[in-house]
Amino acid sequence: MIDELRSIQQQFGYLPADQLHELAAKIQVPLSQIHAVASFYPHFHLTPPAQAEVRVCADMACHLRGGPDLKRGLDQAFRGGGPEDVAVRDVSCLGRCDQAPALSINDRIYSNLDEHRGVALVRDVLSGRKLPAEKHDHHRAPVASDPYNGSPQYSMVRQFIENPDWSGVIATLKSAGLRGMGGAGFPTGSKWEIVRNAPGKEKYIVCNADESEPGTIKDRFIMENVPYLVIEGMIMAGLVTGARRGILYIRHEYERPREILQEEIDRCYREGLLGPNILGSSLAFDLEIFVSPGGYICGEESALLEAIEGKRAEPRNKPPFPGTNGLWNQPTAINNVETFTFATAILFRGAEWFKAQGTNGAFGMKFVGISGDVNRPGIFEVPMGTKYSQLIYEYAGGILGDRKLLAYAPSGPSSGYLPASMVDLPLDWTAVAAAGSMVGSGAIVVCAEGRCMLDMALNAVRFYRNESCGKCVPCRVGSQKLVEMLTGWTEGRSLSTDLQLLDELSHALKQTSICGLGQVVPVPIVSVLKHFGEVVDEHLTNRRCPAGVCFPQRGTA
Amino acid sequence: MSSNPAAEIQITIDGRPISVPAGTTIFDAARVNGIAIPTLCHQQNENPVGVCRVCVVDIGQRVYAASCIRQVEPGMTVKTSTGPVQAARRTLVELLMSDHPAPCARQQQSGDCELERLADDAGIQEPRFPRRITPRGKDDSSTVIAVDHEACILCDRCVRGCDDIRNNWVLARRGKGYQAGIAFDNNLPMGESSCVSCGECMVSCPTGALTNKRVVGTQLGQGDVLDPAELLHLPIFENVSGTFLELNQKAVVKRHFKPGEIVCREGEFGSTAFYILEGKAEVFLSSPIAHVKTEGGSKGFFSKLQSLLAPREGDRRSEESDRPFIPIDASVDLPYDNPIAELNPGDMFGEMTCMSYYPRSATVRARTDCVMLEMLRNVLDILQRNKTFRAQLERNYRTRALDSHLRSVPVFKSLTQDFIDRLRDRVELLRFNPGQVICRQGDPADSFYLVRIGFVKVSEQRPGGELVLAYLARGGYFGEIALLSGIPRSATCTALDHVEVVRISGEDFQLMLDRFPEVRQKLEAIAQERIEENLRHTVQAQNVPVDQFLAQGLMEAQSLLVLDLDKCTRCDLCVRACADAHEGVSRLVREGLRFDKYLVATSCRQCRDPLCMVGCPVGSIRRRNTLEVIIEDWCIGCGLCATNCPYGNINLHPFPAELDDPAHPGHKIAGVQVKATSCDLCHDHAEPSCVYACPHDAAHRVNPPEFFAGLLAQPAPSKGRG
Repeated sequence: MIDELRSIQQQFGYLPADQLHELAAKIQVPLSQIHAVASFYPHFHLTPPAQAEVRVCADMACHLRGGPDLKRGLDQAFRGGGPEDVAVRDVSCLGRCDQAPALSINDRIYSNLDEHRGVALVRDVLSGRKLPAEKHDHHRAPVASDPYNGSPQYSMVRQFIENPDWSGVIATLKSAGLRGMGGAGFPTGSKWEIVRNAPGKEKYIVCNADESEPGTIKDRFIMENVPYLVIEGMIMAGLVTGARRGILYIRHEYERPREILQEEIDRCYREGLLGPNILGSSLAFDLEIFVSPGGYICGEESALLEAIEGKRAEPRNKPPFPGTNGLWNQPTAINNVETFTFATAILFRGAEWFKAQGTNGAFGMKFVGISGDVNRPGIFEVPMGTKYSQLIYEYAGGILGDRKLLAYAPSGPSSGYLPASMVDLPLDWTAVAAAGSMVGSGAIVVCAEGRCMLDMALNAVRFYRNESCGKCVPCRVGSQKLVEMLTGWTEGRSLSTDLQLLDELSHALKQTSICGLGQVVPVPIVSVLKHFGEVVDEHLTNRRCPAGVCFPQRGTA
Repeated sequence: MSSNPAAEIQITIDGRPISVPAGTTIFDAARVNGIAIPTLCHQQNENPVGVCRVCVVDIGQRVYAASCIRQVEPGMTVKTSTGPVQAARRTLVELLMSDHPAPCARQQQSGDCELERLADDAGIQEPRFPRRITPRGKDDSSTVIAVDHEACILCDRCVRGCDDIRNNWVLARRGKGYQAGIAFDNNLPMGESSCVSCGECMVSCPTGALTNKRVVGTQLGQGDVLDPAELLHLPIFENVSGTFLELNQKAVVKRHFKPGEIVCREGEFGSTAFYILEGKAEVFLSSPIAHVKTEGGSKGFFSKLQSLLAPREGDRRSEESDRPFIPIDASVDLPYDNPIAELNPGDMFGEMTCMSYYPRSATVRARTDCVMLEMLRNVLDILQRNKTFRAQLERNYRTRALDSHLRSVPVFKSLTQDFIDRLRDRVELLRFNPGQVICRQGDPADSFYLVRIGFVKVSEQRPGGELVLAYLARGGYFGEIALLSGIPRSATCTALDHVEVVRISGEDFQLMLDRFPEVRQKLEAIAQERIEENLRHTVQAQNVPVDQFLAQGLMEAQSLLVLDLDKCTRCDLCVRACADAHEGVSRLVREGLRFDKYLVATSCRQCRDPLCMVGCPVGSIRRRNTLEVIIEDWCIGCGLCATNCPYGNINLHPFPAELDDPAHPGHKIAGVQVKATSCDLCHDHAEPSCVYACPHDAAHRVNPPEFFAGLLAQPAPSKGRG
């Protein structure tokens, strides 16, 4: 259904009601169900769009690096509609955190903008000029954990076809201690084993390439630079578990990685690495790309499956888990891009190699994205255990403008913020968890001195509110009420009962939400209250923002 | 998890060891052991979805589990009401209450809003969270169910009721996050959606989001109140929720009629419809079939003229409407020559009276012992949307009414039986709610429509606003211009009230034109006339500054009697001449709106938007192609047109007449027949007698746009074309 909707939108620019009626008759799905899906995804328009649909990224990195000015500039230039048909709106993280600020015009993404360039781009669209394609670096960066380095790729697949030792593969992954790199950290070997052992007439491998959490840009880098490791990992998972179909679920803002992956998949079909008889054997594996119709919630694995099934991407109640009841209720192994990549590397180089990587008592490798107030934002492949101070000051070139570090989020909004005093923590699952945060997807966002941490917390909570699917009460209503409460704090409206109420709301969100999104909604503000309590206190008791960011109505006089 | 259904699983709930079969949910395990867990989204007859989270329990894991959907596992230790669990529940209820319009419609109606009860139990009085700022709206479009989105908590009970239980698939969620809500079809108002009014959503709703709409201020005849079980036994109520019928129990009665007994009388106002369960009845018009005719003797201006009732043969004024059938509010039409027909079990009559409160269009009398259901509009709506009933209604229509309906349109008189038989299974019956657009100007044309029930407004978007071209009643048709000429729709057709149309596909229409050249010719001629007339209107509308005109409603007029007050001596000869011309009853009053030095007399203006035509239960008022508004022979004297005319220009006049004695079929009695009259422009004379009579050249019949054009242009306060 999603493909059908997409093709209607391509033809008409939006989804006209009569077309939905026709589609209902054509695919024999009730109109109500089609509308339910079409109205859920931000990518679909039910009314004709403006000539220029401008979406400015409002999330962490862009918020820190000129996003608000860009939005203000565009608003001023095109306010009141005027003769120009422009709609300027906020949008959730576009995945260009290393090139902030970013915006999209008619679904095409531009980054590293200031307001003058932004306005000029919109005017180009209005005057019918063809927009320049997004700039791409065609040069592939070397990746240290890439085992091939020019040698023939897909040797693990070749080896497996020769000697299908699936238990050896699972044992290697288990012994390497490879865990899911999407954030939850479930052991990969065990996951593949569960799927292999689960009864089911059809099994599936799904690659989650929908990274959409603010600050998370590592998978984009991996897909652009070592697409063959991702695909080989998926094929191996298929061969090991007995799944014959793989789906790579990619966010629609990743057009370039999608092209690169598609080229790679085409190549695999040409070379017999994919298809009904892999390398002439009786083993089969087909792989296709599914482009997400949008929304952070699609990164939640069961919501992602719902999206592939053509439904609203609402997370399922668990258990059962996808390992036994996944896509189309069949056993499904869902792993992150990075996990498949490391799986390939580990199978090639052995579990010992992976365990030997790492420092400060941790083992393994990790891709991290560093963005925000740093001199060289980007994606880095680093040994686990590397200290955050080293990541920020060495890899990312230190704090922008010679300011001091104020706080950092180890993994976007979901990890909350840690103060500068904790910057020497190692990139280590247990150590960061002990500090009350998490390594997560390695989306490190850095805040320099001069930032208001209450404003940063509000920004993060607002992201969750915007991306809530609305399925369950705590997240749907609670995230909204929390945004309203925090907005009140930054505008001089607060009640003495607010902190107590926040406690109660956090408890309900954490304990009763269906999925991880709802459970982490309060994390950013709870972390700020914990580490920057005095900042919040200034706002609440003295109606004053120490950083001079909040209370906009008082002006700057 | 074990998949063996026979296996018993041991768990502990609130310290009690409990054994239940594998596959049981925690909620059910607790319930059968007398431990009640509160919930909003879960009810026993629906599959659990676990969305409200109110039923969460502590099972010793990282987060609580929704007990409605979580199955028991061996050794599970469940705590249903620890302090933290209750606190989380309380927060959920408080969150919902902060956006809830307490007391909601359900709480007001029956005091059983489940959310408000939980809030009450938890001692929540004033929610501490801020209220929702953006309104979510109400939807009053359904006849039977009131929708208040403000009270919706998205528990999905209605959605599961509609989709899983009744398999209707009308309801679903829409939107995302805090903006999510429920939607009918593609977010249509409920009344315009494909909802079948089974009531399942309403009986499933825990709050006041979906409540029963009571019909107030209308009365049913005396009859037996029916038990819901008895109603459900009738095939036409198949698949309707029993609870829903129970709620509407007082809106339908079973009535018995003896042979000869009158069921309803033409012209009476009512609010009910009848459905024949047993027996035969006859439907007829008892008013004499005639119109008010002015007999011109000599053309002298004081000569006594006479008005009398005349049938149409005696006065070929209605050349363009030789209609062989009179449309009435039942499943049959009445032949003009002998306006009587038979109604049988399964027939419905009075639908328009019931849905849109029109006067009864005909008299119905029992022929044999009859049993009928008499119902108010909510029950009628349930029936009209019910698939079984609709199938029956359509079958009846196709087999019995389509022929006469098609033939009642003069253009189609020549269709052969085999062609009508072909159409029989191919036409579609479609329903529209008041205000709903049936087809839109500019859209591509793909079908031709015949009106079965209700009134359709045909209008065009013009510079200066909407212009109403016609009101079509039963027997009216539209859509032919665009099909004939292959151009987009030339006008917008909107349902004025509850409308049913018969849709003939473009393909069948073309086939008809090919097979019946006469039909094509006639249609082409009519279409040409309509196009030309529309063009004239356009020219007028473009040439005249409209501000003041519209303000006085004069733009609506096509022909005004205008008195030049500078010349008028108030001698009243115009009024007397009119009275003389119309049996002593003047159809004009020398009073009215003043415009500059002119007085616009109260007299039929032959309006551009002839509101008088809306609602005539027998479709006996219409416009001739010459603009004149005329009243057809079968006027039953109900007076609705007189009420509807905003200018008070239609009068009802009593005429002595021989009438059928409704109590004694075949007998005539002397009586008085009321018929509507309006200015007829004295069409039997060279010019209207009022104008002719004026000795001072002060009275003029004018076309207002032309007449006022010059006048308005001089002071020019206008803002252009408007």
